[in-house]
Amino acid sequence: MSRRRSAAGQPRRRISLRTMGGLCLTMAFLLCCPLLHAEEGIPELGKITIRDLQDTGDRPASRAAYTMAAGNTSWRGLQATEGERENFSTFAAARQTPPDEYGDVTAKDVGEAVPGAAAKESADEYGDVAPDSATAAKPQVQIADPLRPFNVAMFHFNDKLYFWMWKPAATGYKYVMPQPFRQLFSNFYRNLTAPVRILNNLFQGKPGYAGEELAKLLINSTVGVGGLRNCAEECFGIKGRNADFGQTLGKWGLGPGFYLVLPFLGPSSPRDGFGFLVDWALRPQTYVGTEFFDYQNVGLFVHEKINSTSFRIGEYEALKKAAVDPYVSMRDIYIQYRTDLIENR
Amino acid sequence: MRKVLAGLMIFIISMIPLHAFAASALDMVKTNANSVLDVLRDPKLKGDAGKKVKEQKIEAAAEKLFDYVELSKRTLGLNWNRLSMDQRKEFVELFKTLLRNTYIDRITAYTNEKVEFTKEMQLTETTTEVQSVVTKGNTTVPINYRVIKKGNDWMVYDVVIEGVSLISNYRTQFRDILGSNPPQVLIDTLRKRVGK
Repeated sequence: MSRRRSAAGQPRRRISLRTMGGLCLTMAFLLCCPLLHAEEGIPELGKITIRDLQDTGDRPASRAAYTMAAGNTSWRGLQATEGERENFSTFAAARQTPPDEYGDVTAKDVGEAVPGAAAKESADEYGDVAPDSATAAKPQVQIADPLRPFNVAMFHFNDKLYFWMWKPAATGYKYVMPQPFRQLFSNFYRNLTAPVRILNNLFQGKPGYAGEELAKLLINSTVGVGGLRNCAEECFGIKGRNADFGQTLGKWGLGPGFYLVLPFLGPSSPRDGFGFLVDWALRPQTYVGTEFFDYQNVGLFVHEKINSTSFRIGEYEALKKAAVDPYVSMRDIYIQYRTDLIENR
Repeated sequence: MRKVLAGLMIFIISMIPLHAFAASALDMVKTNANSVLDVLRDPKLKGDAGKKVKEQKIEAAAEKLFDYVELSKRTLGLNWNRLSMDQRKEFVELFKTLLRNTYIDRITAYTNEKVEFTKEMQLTETTTEVQSVVTKGNTTVPINYRVIKKGNDWMVYDVVIEGVSLISNYRTQFRDILGSNPPQVLIDTLRKRVGK
């Protein structure tokens, strides 16, 4: 640079011009960059043209691309050969693009990992999984279902119960009870069950959240007029955290055991069923009655259920409608949801 | 000068990919989701005619956003290999129709939900999870989109709602069917299901 500056008459201006030009070039380059780096990071002229072809051809008319792919003369075919050339790259070995969009897949391609309990046949098909695929995708969550006939029967029982009892009851209740009142009830019941959340947050080693729930209990019971309003969240932004004893046991390392559909209560497991009993014991409402289960505390529970169902009419129907096999779908939703609560929240 | 420029370029090029990777997945999903939300909130689109237009626009957006082949592959897992080429193609179409029929009503029913894209998390070299939170009234639902890099675009291959993965859910169901039946039974079941 300095050499040019001394040679030129007006060095500053020329340099700034050149720099400007350079900057423009760089900017132009920057714009192209994502294109160049879309796959590997090594800009290659051939690659760009192929990708450009794909971009114009593949997206708007994907059906045309499908037929192309079937004919095996697609850009993907080209790309695969290119992938072989790129073997020097560390990524190329790990990233094997199938030559055909509809071609065979490997366990890695589809994020499939360690076999679950439900993988009935061909165990070795699932066995050989590259070690890094464990990080690529978590093994799919599965739950054993040894009591399937019983569970299927209970599933149908609960299903009918929902359509014949819970839903009509909640619909009628929703009709007679204005939304603000239902919200008050919902807040009130939630506030009452604060001990369940405080203790379970403590058991799970989350004293911060236990403190939040305690603060919510105190604020909502006083400023929120006996828990009728959720003032802690609305006025002070204290969110708190849901916690139950089944989740606590899960956090302590206990697996769900097996799938168990409980009558009235729905999808569960021995672990979560036991958790429900413990939480039942922690609920102040339980001690309204004279027995552990009697018509008073169960009656309150039923009202709580109908009240909360009135906010969620249509959710169960939607889940059921989305399923190809509702029973298996519900089982999977249950175990995925519970596992997420235990592992990620 | 040229060397400096070249050096600068190489430097910038080496910096860009990470940045581009980091920004685009979330932006891509966000842009598409926002365009859908704009359609849904369009006050002009009311009644049955409006609903038709809404559905068409959403389908067009979904076509751009979802990679149905990838989605189907990941849903079937290794069972994909048991299907013949024709069965694979039919499966993709049937599964797409099933998802469309299931979710279009729920999407058009969206009104005053607030959608907030929070962050993205890289899963593998080619896949990323874009996390969002949907708020309606005083309930919040976390919805995460898993996207895969295809060419220059990020395509959605899985949606995780409250920790429940869509493809895992269907995979369990399909595996249950394929465990004791040939692939054609699954195709027939799906055909019946979508009413074809």
